[in-house]
Amino acid sequence: MKKIIQRLSNGIITENPTFVQVIGMCPTLAVTTGAENGIGMGLATTAVLVGSNLFISLLRKFIPSKIRIPAYVVIIASLVTLIEFTLKAYVPALYSQLGLFIPLIVVNCIILARAEAYASKNKLLPSIMDGLGMGLGFTLALATIGAVREILGAGKVFGVQILPSSYQPALIMILAPGAFFTLGILMAILNHVRSKKMKNA
Amino acid sequence: MKEILKLGLILFVITAVAAGLLGFANEMTKEPIAKQVQQTKEEAMKQTLPQADQYESVEVDLPEESMILEVNAGYKGDVLEGFAVKVAPKGFGGAIEIMVGVSKDGILQGVKILNHSETPGLGANAEDPVFTSQYEGKSGQLKVVKATPGAEDEIQAITGATITSKAVTAGINEVLNLIEHRVDTDNNEIIFDFN
Amino acid sequence: MELFILFLSAILVNNFVLSRFLGICPFLGVSKKVETAVGMGMAVTFVMTLASMISYMVYNWILVPLKIEYLYTIAFILVIASLVQFVEMVIQKVSPTLYQALGVYLPLITTNCAVLGVAVLNMNEGYNLIQSIVHGVGAALGFTLAIVLFAGIRERIENNNILTAFQGFPIALITAGLMSIAFLGFQGLL
Repeated sequence: MKKIIQRLSNGIITENPTFVQVIGMCPTLAVTTGAENGIGMGLATTAVLVGSNLFISLLRKFIPSKIRIPAYVVIIASLVTLIEFTLKAYVPALYSQLGLFIPLIVVNCIILARAEAYASKNKLLPSIMDGLGMGLGFTLALATIGAVREILGAGKVFGVQILPSSYQPALIMILAPGAFFTLGILMAILNHVRSKKMKNA
Repeated sequence: MKEILKLGLILFVITAVAAGLLGFANEMTKEPIAKQVQQTKEEAMKQTLPQADQYESVEVDLPEESMILEVNAGYKGDVLEGFAVKVAPKGFGGAIEIMVGVSKDGILQGVKILNHSETPGLGANAEDPVFTSQYEGKSGQLKVVKATPGAEDEIQAITGATITSKAVTAGINEVLNLIEHRVDTDNNEIIFDFN
Repeated sequence: MELFILFLSAILVNNFVLSRFLGICPFLGVSKKVETAVGMGMAVTFVMTLASMISYMVYNWILVPLKIEYLYTIAFILVIASLVQFVEMVIQKVSPTLYQALGVYLPLITTNCAVLGVAVLNMNEGYNLIQSIVHGVGAALGFTLAIVLFAGIRERIENNNILTAFQGFPIALITAGLMSIAFLGFQGLL
Protein backbone atom coordinates (compact mmCIF):
# COMPACT_ATOMS: atom_id res chain seq x y z
CA MET A 1 0.00 0.00 0.00
CA LYS A 2 2.75 2.38 0.99
CA LYS A 3 4.56 1.63 -2.23
CA ILE A 4 1.49 2.42 -4.29
CA ILE A 5 1.10 5.84 -2.75
CA GLN A 6 4.80 6.42 -3.10
CA ARG A 7 4.60 5.61 -6.86
CA LEU A 8 1.72 8.03 -7.31
CA SER A 9 3.33 10.92 -5.46
CA ASN A 10 6.61 10.23 -7.22
CA GLY A 11 4.99 10.82 -10.59
CA ILE A 12 2.87 13.75 -9.55
CA ILE A 13 5.41 15.64 -7.45
CA THR A 14 8.94 14.29 -6.94
CA GLU A 15 9.61 13.37 -10.55
CA ASN A 16 6.91 15.37 -12.28
CA PRO A 17 7.53 14.70 -15.98
CA THR A 18 6.97 18.29 -17.06
CA PHE A 19 8.38 20.47 -14.32
CA VAL A 20 11.13 18.23 -12.98
CA GLN A 21 12.17 15.90 -15.79
CA VAL A 22 11.29 18.36 -18.57
CA ILE A 23 10.24 15.67 -21.07
CA GLY A 24 7.25 15.38 -23.35
CA MET A 25 7.46 19.05 -24.17
CA CYS A 26 5.75 19.06 -27.58
CA PRO A 27 2.18 18.36 -26.44
CA THR A 28 2.81 20.37 -23.26
CA LEU A 29 3.35 23.48 -25.31
CA ALA A 30 1.09 22.76 -28.26
CA VAL A 31 -2.29 21.82 -26.84
CA THR A 32 -2.38 24.02 -23.74
CA THR A 33 -4.32 26.90 -25.26
CA GLY A 34 -6.98 26.14 -22.67
CA ALA A 35 -7.39 24.16 -19.46
CA GLU A 36 -9.87 21.76 -21.05
CA ASN A 37 -7.55 20.75 -23.88
CA GLY A 38 -4.72 20.32 -21.40
CA ILE A 39 -6.77 17.88 -19.33
CA GLY A 40 -7.96 16.01 -22.44
CA MET A 41 -4.43 15.54 -23.70
CA GLY A 42 -3.19 14.66 -20.21
CA LEU A 43 -5.82 11.96 -19.71
CA ALA A 44 -5.29 10.48 -23.18
CA THR A 45 -1.57 10.24 -22.43
CA THR A 46 -2.29 8.78 -18.98
CA ALA A 47 -4.41 6.04 -20.55
CA VAL A 48 -1.59 5.13 -22.93
CA LEU A 49 0.98 5.26 -20.12
CA VAL A 50 -0.98 2.98 -17.82
CA GLY A 51 -1.63 0.57 -20.69
CA SER A 52 1.94 0.51 -21.92
CA ASN A 53 3.37 0.04 -18.42
CA LEU A 54 0.85 -2.76 -17.87
CA PHE A 55 1.70 -4.70 -21.02
CA ILE A 56 5.42 -4.09 -20.86
CA SER A 57 5.55 -5.22 -17.24
CA LEU A 58 3.56 -8.34 -18.16
CA LEU A 59 5.79 -9.12 -21.12
CA ARG A 60 9.07 -8.12 -19.48
CA LYS A 61 10.35 -11.71 -19.32
CA PHE A 62 9.14 -12.56 -22.81
CA ILE A 63 10.74 -9.66 -24.69
CA PRO A 64 14.51 -10.12 -25.23
CA SER A 65 16.43 -6.99 -24.36
CA LYS A 66 17.93 -6.70 -27.85
CA ILE A 67 14.61 -5.99 -29.49
CA ARG A 68 12.93 -4.31 -26.55
CA ILE A 69 12.79 -0.82 -28.07
CA PRO A 70 10.99 -1.81 -31.30
CA ALA A 71 8.71 -4.10 -29.28
CA TYR A 72 7.81 -1.26 -26.88
CA VAL A 73 7.23 1.08 -29.79
CA VAL A 74 4.78 -1.36 -31.39
CA ILE A 75 2.90 -1.79 -28.10
CA ILE A 76 2.72 1.96 -27.51
CA ALA A 77 1.66 2.70 -31.09
CA SER A 78 -1.15 0.14 -30.84
CA LEU A 79 -2.43 1.69 -27.63
CA VAL A 80 -2.33 5.13 -29.21
CA THR A 81 -4.35 3.86 -32.15
CA LEU A 82 -6.90 2.42 -29.72
CA ILE A 83 -7.20 5.80 -27.99
CA GLU A 84 -7.61 7.42 -31.38
CA PHE A 85 -10.54 5.12 -32.26
CA THR A 86 -12.15 5.73 -28.88
CA LEU A 87 -11.90 9.50 -29.06
CA LYS A 88 -13.16 9.55 -32.65
CA ALA A 89 -16.15 7.41 -31.74
CA TYR A 90 -17.19 8.95 -28.43
CA VAL A 91 -15.53 12.37 -27.99
CA PRO A 92 -15.14 13.72 -31.55
CA ALA A 93 -14.91 17.34 -30.38
CA LEU A 94 -11.83 16.61 -28.30
CA TYR A 95 -10.40 14.53 -31.14
CA SER A 96 -10.58 17.39 -33.59
CA GLN A 97 -9.14 19.81 -31.02
CA LEU A 98 -6.07 17.70 -30.30
CA GLY A 99 -5.74 16.58 -33.92
CA LEU A 100 -2.18 15.87 -34.93
CA PHE A 101 -1.03 15.45 -31.34
CA ILE A 102 -3.01 12.25 -30.81
CA PRO A 103 -0.81 10.09 -33.08
CA LEU A 104 2.18 11.96 -31.71
CA ILE A 105 1.56 10.51 -28.23
CA VAL A 106 3.63 7.61 -29.62
CA VAL A 107 6.78 9.68 -29.57
CA ASN A 108 6.06 11.33 -26.23
CA CYS A 109 9.32 10.56 -24.46
CA ILE A 110 7.55 10.10 -21.10
CA ILE A 111 6.00 6.84 -22.25
CA LEU A 112 9.11 5.19 -23.63
CA ALA A 113 11.11 6.52 -20.68
CA ARG A 114 8.78 4.91 -18.13
CA ALA A 115 8.75 1.66 -20.07
CA GLU A 116 12.50 1.54 -20.15
CA ALA A 117 13.22 2.88 -16.67
CA TYR A 118 10.44 1.32 -14.67
CA ALA A 119 7.95 -1.09 -16.23
CA SER A 120 10.60 -3.33 -17.81
CA LYS A 121 12.11 -4.00 -14.40
CA ASN A 122 9.15 -4.05 -12.03
CA LYS A 123 6.08 -6.07 -11.15
CA LEU A 124 2.66 -5.43 -12.57
CA LEU A 125 0.93 -3.40 -9.88
CA PRO A 126 3.74 -0.94 -9.11
CA SER A 127 4.19 -0.47 -12.87
CA ILE A 128 0.56 0.43 -13.34
CA MET A 129 0.74 2.83 -10.41
CA ASP A 130 3.91 4.34 -11.81
CA GLY A 131 2.15 4.98 -15.12
CA LEU A 132 -0.86 6.43 -13.36
CA GLY A 133 1.29 8.72 -11.21
CA MET A 134 3.34 9.97 -14.15
CA GLY A 135 0.20 10.43 -16.24
CA LEU A 136 -1.56 12.41 -13.53
CA GLY A 137 1.55 14.52 -12.97
CA PHE A 138 1.58 15.26 -16.69
CA THR A 139 -2.15 16.03 -16.71
CA LEU A 140 -1.78 18.36 -13.73
CA ALA A 141 1.05 20.24 -15.43
CA LEU A 142 -0.88 20.57 -18.70
CA ALA A 143 -4.01 21.72 -16.93
CA THR A 144 -2.07 24.35 -14.97
CA ILE A 145 -0.33 25.71 -18.05
CA GLY A 146 -3.59 25.64 -19.97
CA ALA A 147 -5.46 27.46 -17.21
CA VAL A 148 -2.81 30.19 -16.90
CA ARG A 149 -2.77 30.76 -20.67
CA GLU A 150 -6.54 30.74 -20.89
CA ILE A 151 -6.96 33.23 -18.01
CA LEU A 152 -4.39 35.67 -19.36
CA GLY A 153 -5.13 35.15 -23.03
CA ALA A 154 -8.91 35.05 -22.98
CA GLY A 155 -10.01 35.91 -19.42
CA LYS A 156 -11.63 32.49 -19.12
CA VAL A 157 -11.10 29.12 -17.46
CA PHE A 158 -12.73 26.01 -18.94
CA GLY A 159 -14.47 28.37 -21.34
CA VAL A 160 -16.17 30.29 -18.53
CA GLN A 161 -15.50 34.02 -18.28
CA ILE A 162 -13.90 34.77 -14.92
CA LEU A 163 -12.11 38.05 -15.43
CA PRO A 164 -14.32 41.15 -15.84
CA SER A 165 -14.91 42.13 -19.45
CA SER A 166 -12.92 45.31 -18.83
CA TYR A 167 -9.83 43.06 -18.89
CA GLN A 168 -8.24 43.26 -22.31
CA PRO A 169 -7.03 39.68 -23.00
CA ALA A 170 -3.34 39.34 -23.79
CA LEU A 171 -3.74 37.45 -27.05
CA ILE A 172 -0.04 36.57 -27.13
CA MET A 173 -0.57 34.10 -24.28
CA ILE A 174 -2.79 31.92 -26.47
CA LEU A 175 -0.45 32.19 -29.44
CA ALA A 176 2.73 30.14 -29.70
CA PRO A 177 5.07 32.47 -27.72
CA GLY A 178 2.71 32.41 -24.74
CA ALA A 179 3.29 28.67 -24.36
CA PHE A 180 7.04 29.16 -23.96
CA PHE A 181 6.64 32.11 -21.59
CA THR A 182 4.10 30.39 -19.36
CA LEU A 183 6.14 27.22 -18.96
CA GLY A 184 9.38 29.19 -18.45
CA ILE A 185 7.89 31.38 -15.74
CA LEU A 186 6.09 28.51 -13.97
CA MET A 187 9.38 26.59 -13.87
CA ALA A 188 11.22 29.60 -12.51
CA ILE A 189 8.62 29.98 -9.76
CA LEU A 190 8.99 26.29 -8.84
CA ASN A 191 12.79 26.62 -8.82
CA HIS A 192 12.48 29.58 -6.50
CA VAL A 193 10.15 27.75 -4.12
CA ARG A 194 12.42 24.72 -4.10
CA SER A 195 15.60 26.66 -3.39
CA LYS A 196 13.86 28.48 -0.55
CA LYS A 197 12.76 25.18 0.95
CA MET A 198 16.30 23.85 0.71
CA LYS A 199 17.65 26.90 2.53
CA ASN A 200 15.15 26.45 5.30
CA ALA A 201 15.89 22.78 5.71
CA MET B 1 21.70 -16.73 -37.17
CA LYS B 2 19.41 -18.76 -34.95
CA GLU B 3 19.20 -15.92 -32.51
CA ILE B 4 18.25 -13.41 -35.20
CA LEU B 5 15.48 -15.75 -36.30
CA LYS B 6 14.20 -16.05 -32.77
CA LEU B 7 14.29 -12.30 -32.17
CA GLY B 8 12.58 -11.66 -35.47
CA LEU B 9 9.92 -14.20 -34.65
CA ILE B 10 9.16 -12.65 -31.27
CA LEU B 11 8.91 -9.19 -32.78
CA PHE B 12 6.70 -10.57 -35.50
CA VAL B 13 4.39 -12.22 -32.96
CA ILE B 14 4.03 -8.96 -31.01
CA THR B 15 3.32 -6.98 -34.17
CA ALA B 16 0.87 -9.54 -35.48
CA VAL B 17 -1.06 -9.67 -32.21
CA ALA B 18 -1.13 -5.88 -32.07
CA ALA B 19 -2.34 -5.59 -35.66
CA GLY B 20 -4.99 -8.25 -35.06
CA LEU B 21 -6.32 -6.51 -31.97
CA LEU B 22 -6.42 -3.18 -33.77
CA GLY B 23 -8.28 -4.70 -36.69
CA PHE B 24 -10.86 -5.95 -34.24
CA ALA B 25 -11.05 -2.59 -32.46
CA ASN B 26 -11.45 -0.89 -35.81
CA GLU B 27 -14.44 -3.07 -36.65
CA MET B 28 -15.94 -2.35 -33.24
CA THR B 29 -15.64 1.43 -33.46
CA LYS B 30 -16.44 1.77 -37.15
CA GLU B 31 -20.16 2.08 -36.56
CA PRO B 32 -20.08 4.59 -33.68
CA ILE B 33 -17.61 6.70 -35.66
CA ALA B 34 -19.79 6.66 -38.78
CA LYS B 35 -22.79 7.52 -36.60
CA GLN B 36 -20.95 10.46 -35.05
CA VAL B 37 -19.97 11.78 -38.46
CA GLN B 38 -23.54 11.45 -39.74
CA GLN B 39 -24.96 13.09 -36.63
CA THR B 40 -22.57 16.04 -36.81
CA LYS B 41 -23.45 16.49 -40.46
CA GLU B 42 -27.17 16.36 -39.84
CA GLU B 43 -26.96 18.84 -36.99
CA ALA B 44 -24.93 21.19 -39.15
CA MET B 45 -27.46 20.95 -41.98
CA LYS B 46 -30.32 21.68 -39.59
CA GLN B 47 -28.50 24.69 -38.18
CA THR B 48 -27.57 26.18 -41.51
CA LEU B 49 -30.80 25.47 -43.38
CA PRO B 50 -33.40 25.41 -40.61
CA GLN B 51 -36.46 25.80 -42.84
CA ALA B 52 -35.97 22.33 -44.34
CA ASP B 53 -36.81 19.17 -42.43
CA GLN B 54 -35.39 16.58 -44.77
CA TYR B 55 -32.05 16.44 -46.54
CA GLU B 56 -30.94 14.46 -49.54
CA SER B 57 -27.49 14.19 -50.93
CA VAL B 58 -27.15 15.34 -54.56
CA GLU B 59 -24.61 14.10 -57.10
CA VAL B 60 -22.98 17.05 -58.80
CA ASP B 61 -20.43 17.00 -61.58
CA LEU B 62 -18.12 19.66 -60.16
CA PRO B 63 -15.24 21.38 -61.95
CA GLU B 64 -11.88 19.83 -61.12
CA GLU B 65 -10.51 22.58 -58.88
CA SER B 66 -13.73 22.96 -56.90
CA MET B 67 -13.50 23.23 -53.12
CA ILE B 68 -16.99 21.82 -52.68
CA LEU B 69 -17.10 18.46 -50.92
CA GLU B 70 -20.78 17.58 -50.96
CA VAL B 71 -24.14 19.05 -51.89
CA ASN B 72 -27.33 18.28 -49.99
CA ALA B 73 -30.76 19.42 -51.05
CA GLY B 74 -33.08 20.44 -48.22
CA TYR B 75 -36.82 19.86 -48.51
CA LYS B 76 -39.80 20.81 -46.41
CA GLY B 77 -42.25 18.08 -47.22
CA ASP B 78 -41.90 17.82 -51.00
CA VAL B 79 -40.93 21.40 -51.60
CA LEU B 80 -37.30 22.24 -52.30
CA GLU B 81 -36.17 24.89 -49.81
CA GLY B 82 -32.48 25.20 -50.53
CA PHE B 83 -29.12 23.52 -50.21
CA ALA B 84 -26.69 22.67 -47.44
CA VAL B 85 -23.28 22.53 -49.07
CA LYS B 86 -20.05 21.37 -47.48
CA VAL B 87 -17.04 23.24 -48.76
CA ALA B 88 -13.37 23.14 -47.72
CA PRO B 89 -11.29 26.19 -48.67
CA LYS B 90 -7.65 26.31 -47.64
CA GLY B 91 -7.08 28.56 -44.65
CA PHE B 92 -3.95 29.49 -42.76
CA GLY B 93 -3.33 26.19 -41.01
CA GLY B 94 -4.97 23.79 -43.48
CA ALA B 95 -8.40 23.10 -44.92
CA ILE B 96 -11.40 24.71 -43.20
CA GLU B 97 -14.55 22.62 -43.48
CA ILE B 98 -17.67 24.72 -43.63
CA MET B 99 -21.35 23.87 -43.94
CA VAL B 100 -23.14 26.57 -45.90
CA GLY B 101 -26.92 26.78 -45.99
CA VAL B 102 -28.34 28.67 -48.93
CA SER B 103 -31.91 29.07 -50.12
CA LYS B 104 -32.81 27.92 -53.63
CA ASP B 105 -32.75 31.52 -54.88
CA GLY B 106 -29.19 32.02 -53.64
CA ILE B 107 -29.62 33.78 -50.29
CA LEU B 108 -27.33 32.63 -47.47
CA GLN B 109 -29.23 31.14 -44.55
CA GLY B 110 -26.52 30.02 -42.21
CA VAL B 111 -22.81 29.24 -41.99
CA LYS B 112 -21.17 26.79 -39.62
CA ILE B 113 -17.48 26.00 -39.32
CA LEU B 114 -17.15 22.23 -38.89
CA ASN B 115 -13.44 21.60 -38.74
CA HIS B 116 -10.33 23.72 -38.93
CA SER B 117 -6.76 24.00 -37.77
CA GLU B 118 -6.52 27.78 -37.59
CA THR B 119 -4.52 29.57 -34.89
CA PRO B 120 -6.34 29.58 -31.54
CA GLY B 121 -7.20 33.14 -30.53
CA LEU B 122 -6.95 34.43 -34.11
CA GLY B 123 -8.23 32.40 -37.04
CA ALA B 124 -10.07 30.04 -34.71
CA ASN B 125 -12.44 32.95 -33.98
CA ALA B 126 -14.04 32.15 -37.33
CA GLU B 127 -16.20 29.71 -35.34
CA ASP B 128 -17.65 32.64 -33.43
CA PRO B 129 -21.28 33.37 -34.44
CA VAL B 130 -20.35 37.08 -34.38
CA PHE B 131 -18.34 36.37 -37.53
CA THR B 132 -20.45 33.70 -39.23
CA SER B 133 -23.77 35.52 -38.69
CA GLN B 134 -22.49 38.33 -40.93
CA TYR B 135 -23.14 36.08 -43.91
CA GLU B 136 -26.80 35.50 -43.21
CA GLY B 137 -29.14 37.11 -45.71
CA LYS B 138 -26.36 37.96 -48.13
CA SER B 139 -26.17 36.90 -51.77
CA GLY B 140 -24.18 37.41 -54.96
CA GLN B 141 -20.39 37.44 -54.49
CA LEU B 142 -18.92 38.71 -51.23
CA LYS B 143 -15.65 40.39 -50.35
CA VAL B 144 -13.70 40.87 -47.14
CA VAL B 145 -12.95 44.33 -45.71
CA LYS B 146 -10.95 45.29 -42.65
CA ALA B 147 -13.05 48.29 -41.63
CA THR B 148 -16.73 48.26 -40.65
CA PRO B 149 -18.55 47.05 -43.76
CA GLY B 150 -20.48 49.73 -45.62
CA ALA B 151 -21.81 47.97 -48.68
CA GLU B 152 -24.19 45.02 -48.85
CA ASP B 153 -21.57 42.64 -50.22
CA GLU B 154 -18.91 43.30 -47.57
CA ILE B 155 -17.82 41.04 -44.71
CA GLN B 156 -15.71 42.33 -41.86
CA ALA B 157 -12.50 40.35 -41.37
CA ILE B 158 -11.65 38.74 -38.05
CA THR B 159 -9.03 40.84 -36.25
CA GLY B 160 -5.57 39.48 -37.01
CA ALA B 161 -6.90 36.74 -39.26
CA THR B 162 -7.42 38.18 -42.72
CA ILE B 163 -6.27 34.96 -44.39
CA THR B 164 -8.84 32.88 -42.54
CA SER B 165 -11.62 35.42 -43.22
CA LYS B 166 -10.76 35.48 -46.92
CA ALA B 167 -10.62 31.69 -47.09
CA VAL B 168 -14.04 31.26 -45.48
CA THR B 169 -15.49 33.90 -47.79
CA ALA B 170 -13.93 32.26 -50.85
CA GLY B 171 -15.54 28.98 -49.86
CA ILE B 172 -18.93 30.63 -49.42
CA ASN B 173 -18.58 32.48 -52.72
CA GLU B 174 -18.01 29.19 -54.43
CA VAL B 175 -21.23 27.83 -52.94
CA LEU B 176 -23.12 30.93 -54.09
CA ASN B 177 -21.62 30.47 -57.53
CA LEU B 178 -22.77 26.84 -57.56
CA ILE B 179 -26.35 27.86 -56.82
CA GLU B 180 -26.13 30.40 -59.69
CA HIS B 181 -25.44 27.51 -62.03
CA ARG B 182 -28.50 25.55 -61.07
CA VAL B 183 -30.74 24.90 -64.02
CA ASP B 184 -34.46 25.32 -63.40
CA THR B 185 -36.32 22.22 -64.45
CA ASP B 186 -40.02 21.55 -64.54
CA ASN B 187 -39.84 18.36 -62.57
CA ASN B 188 -38.10 17.99 -59.24
CA GLU B 189 -34.78 17.03 -60.74
CA ILE B 190 -31.77 19.05 -59.55
CA ILE B 191 -29.21 19.90 -62.19
CA PHE B 192 -26.12 22.09 -62.04
CA ASP B 193 -24.56 23.15 -65.29
CA PHE B 194 -21.06 24.63 -65.35
CA ASN B 195 -20.64 24.95 -69.10
CA MET C 1 5.42 28.46 -57.55
CA GLU C 2 2.98 26.63 -55.34
CA LEU C 3 5.76 24.31 -54.25
CA PHE C 4 7.96 27.26 -53.44
CA ILE C 5 5.26 28.76 -51.21
CA LEU C 6 4.81 25.40 -49.48
CA PHE C 7 8.57 25.21 -48.96
CA LEU C 8 8.91 28.74 -47.62
CA SER C 9 5.90 28.47 -45.36
CA ALA C 10 7.23 25.23 -43.87
CA ILE C 11 10.51 26.97 -43.01
CA LEU C 12 9.30 30.33 -41.78
CA VAL C 13 5.55 30.74 -41.35
CA ASN C 14 4.61 27.36 -39.94
CA ASN C 15 8.02 26.77 -38.40
CA PHE C 16 7.94 23.29 -36.89
CA VAL C 17 9.52 24.23 -33.61
CA LEU C 18 8.35 27.77 -33.00
CA SER C 19 4.82 27.64 -34.27
CA ARG C 20 3.77 23.99 -34.51
CA PHE C 21 5.68 22.83 -31.40
CA LEU C 22 7.17 19.76 -33.05
CA GLY C 23 10.65 18.61 -32.11
CA ILE C 24 10.82 20.57 -28.86
CA CYS C 25 12.79 17.89 -26.99
CA PRO C 26 15.93 18.06 -29.16
CA PHE C 27 15.36 21.79 -29.54
CA LEU C 28 15.77 22.26 -25.79
CA GLY C 29 18.10 19.34 -25.20
CA VAL C 30 20.75 19.61 -27.93
CA SER C 31 21.06 23.36 -28.25
CA LYS C 32 23.76 24.31 -25.77
CA LYS C 33 26.38 24.66 -28.50
CA VAL C 34 26.03 25.84 -32.10
CA GLU C 35 28.23 22.99 -33.29
CA THR C 36 26.00 20.25 -31.89
CA ALA C 37 22.90 22.12 -33.03
CA VAL C 38 24.20 22.10 -36.61
CA GLY C 39 24.89 18.37 -36.33
CA MET C 40 21.43 17.64 -35.02
CA GLY C 41 19.88 19.82 -37.69
CA MET C 42 21.70 17.98 -40.45
CA ALA C 43 20.79 14.57 -39.09
CA VAL C 44 17.13 15.58 -38.77
CA THR C 45 17.07 17.02 -42.30
CA PHE C 46 18.47 13.80 -43.66
CA VAL C 47 16.01 11.55 -41.87
CA MET C 48 12.98 13.79 -42.32
CA THR C 49 13.43 14.02 -46.09
CA LEU C 50 13.65 10.24 -46.39
CA ALA C 51 10.82 9.72 -43.90
CA SER C 52 8.47 12.02 -45.84
CA MET C 53 9.16 10.07 -48.99
CA ILE C 54 8.97 6.56 -47.60
CA SER C 55 5.97 7.14 -45.34
CA TYR C 56 4.13 8.53 -48.37
CA MET C 57 4.89 5.34 -50.28
CA VAL C 58 3.96 3.08 -47.39
CA TYR C 59 0.69 4.89 -46.82
CA ASN C 60 -0.47 5.28 -50.40
CA TRP C 61 0.98 2.13 -51.92
CA ILE C 62 0.53 -0.36 -49.09
CA LEU C 63 -1.91 0.78 -46.40
CA VAL C 64 -4.53 2.35 -48.70
CA PRO C 65 -4.75 -0.55 -51.20
CA LEU C 66 -5.03 -3.02 -48.29
CA LYS C 67 -7.63 -0.78 -46.60
CA ILE C 68 -5.71 -0.74 -43.33
CA GLU C 69 -5.13 3.03 -43.19
CA TYR C 70 -5.93 2.93 -39.49
CA LEU C 71 -2.59 1.24 -38.84
CA TYR C 72 -0.78 4.39 -40.00
CA THR C 73 0.64 5.26 -36.57
CA ILE C 74 2.34 1.87 -36.20
CA ALA C 75 3.46 1.81 -39.82
CA PHE C 76 5.01 5.29 -39.71
CA ILE C 77 6.84 4.80 -36.44
CA LEU C 78 8.27 1.49 -37.67
CA VAL C 79 9.33 3.15 -40.92
CA ILE C 80 11.07 5.91 -39.00
CA ALA C 81 12.75 3.57 -36.51
CA SER C 82 14.10 1.27 -39.21
CA LEU C 83 15.06 4.23 -41.36
CA VAL C 84 17.13 5.70 -38.56
CA GLN C 85 18.84 2.37 -37.99
CA PHE C 86 19.49 1.96 -41.70
CA VAL C 87 20.84 5.49 -42.13
CA GLU C 88 23.10 4.91 -39.16
CA MET C 89 24.57 1.75 -40.74
CA VAL C 90 24.99 3.31 -44.17
CA ILE C 91 26.68 6.44 -42.89
CA GLN C 92 28.99 4.37 -40.73
CA LYS C 93 30.14 2.35 -43.75
CA VAL C 94 30.24 5.11 -46.34
CA SER C 95 31.60 8.04 -44.42
CA PRO C 96 33.11 7.56 -41.00
CA THR C 97 33.70 11.32 -40.70
CA LEU C 98 30.03 12.06 -41.21
CA TYR C 99 29.20 9.27 -38.80
CA GLN C 100 31.36 10.87 -36.18
CA ALA C 101 29.56 14.13 -36.67
CA LEU C 102 25.99 12.79 -36.73
CA GLY C 103 26.22 9.40 -35.04
CA VAL C 104 25.25 10.43 -31.54
CA TYR C 105 22.15 12.27 -32.73
CA LEU C 106 20.71 9.54 -34.89
CA PRO C 107 19.18 7.32 -32.17
CA LEU C 108 17.54 10.41 -30.66
CA ILE C 109 15.70 11.09 -33.89
CA THR C 110 13.34 8.12 -33.58
CA THR C 111 11.52 9.83 -30.75
CA ASN C 112 11.72 13.27 -32.35
CA CYS C 113 8.10 14.08 -32.92
CA ALA C 114 8.96 16.37 -35.81
CA VAL C 115 9.70 13.33 -37.96
CA LEU C 116 6.48 11.46 -37.18
CA GLY C 117 4.73 14.83 -37.28
CA VAL C 118 5.77 15.56 -40.84
CA ALA C 119 4.64 12.10 -41.97
CA VAL C 120 1.20 12.52 -40.36
CA LEU C 121 0.82 16.09 -41.62
CA ASN C 122 1.63 15.03 -45.19
CA MET C 123 -1.05 12.38 -44.92
CA ASN C 124 -3.65 14.71 -43.35
CA GLU C 125 -3.08 17.42 -45.94
CA GLY C 126 -3.26 14.91 -48.77
CA TYR C 127 0.04 16.01 -50.31
CA ASN C 128 1.33 14.09 -53.32
CA LEU C 129 4.81 12.58 -53.39
CA ILE C 130 6.58 15.74 -54.60
CA GLN C 131 4.68 18.00 -52.20
CA SER C 132 5.42 15.62 -49.31
CA ILE C 133 9.15 15.72 -50.01
CA VAL C 134 9.20 19.50 -50.43
CA HIS C 135 7.23 19.89 -47.21
CA GLY C 136 9.57 17.48 -45.42
CA VAL C 137 12.72 19.29 -46.56
CA GLY C 138 11.23 22.69 -45.72
CA ALA C 139 10.11 21.59 -42.28
CA ALA C 140 13.51 20.08 -41.56
CA LEU C 141 15.33 23.22 -42.67
CA GLY C 142 12.97 25.25 -40.50
CA PHE C 143 13.89 23.02 -37.56
CA THR C 144 17.60 23.44 -38.32
CA LEU C 145 17.26 27.21 -38.64
CA ALA C 146 15.44 27.46 -35.32
CA ILE C 147 17.79 25.18 -33.38
CA VAL C 148 20.97 26.81 -34.73
CA LEU C 149 19.75 30.35 -34.00
CA PHE C 150 18.60 29.21 -30.58
CA ALA C 151 21.97 27.62 -29.79
CA GLY C 152 23.70 30.85 -30.84
CA ILE C 153 21.60 32.84 -28.40
CA ARG C 154 22.08 30.28 -25.62
CA GLU C 155 25.86 30.39 -26.01
CA ARG C 156 25.73 34.10 -25.31
CA ILE C 157 23.33 33.79 -22.40
CA GLU C 158 25.65 31.27 -20.79
CA ASN C 159 27.99 34.01 -19.55
CA ASN C 160 25.30 36.39 -18.42
CA ASN C 161 24.22 37.02 -14.91
CA ILE C 162 20.76 35.47 -14.63
CA LEU C 163 18.48 35.20 -11.60
CA THR C 164 19.09 31.82 -9.97
CA ALA C 165 15.47 30.77 -10.39
CA PHE C 166 15.65 31.38 -14.13
CA GLN C 167 18.87 29.50 -14.80
CA GLY C 168 18.69 26.50 -17.09
CA PHE C 169 15.37 25.65 -18.71
CA PRO C 170 13.30 28.69 -17.66
CA ILE C 171 15.53 31.21 -19.42
CA ALA C 172 15.82 28.89 -22.42
CA LEU C 173 12.03 28.75 -22.68
CA ILE C 174 11.69 32.53 -22.41
CA THR C 175 14.31 32.87 -25.16
CA ALA C 176 12.37 30.45 -27.33
CA GLY C 177 9.23 32.50 -26.66
CA LEU C 178 10.93 35.67 -27.89
CA MET C 179 12.13 33.85 -31.01
CA SER C 180 8.62 32.62 -31.55
CA ILE C 181 7.35 36.22 -31.45
CA ALA C 182 9.92 37.10 -34.10
CA PHE C 183 8.71 34.22 -36.28
CA LEU C 184 5.10 35.35 -35.85
CA GLY C 185 6.18 38.28 -37.99
CA PHE C 186 6.53 35.94 -40.97
CA GLN C 187 2.80 35.28 -40.98
CA GLY C 188 2.32 38.26 -43.26
CA LEU C 189 4.45 36.51 -45.90
CA LEU C 190 1.74 34.11 -46.98
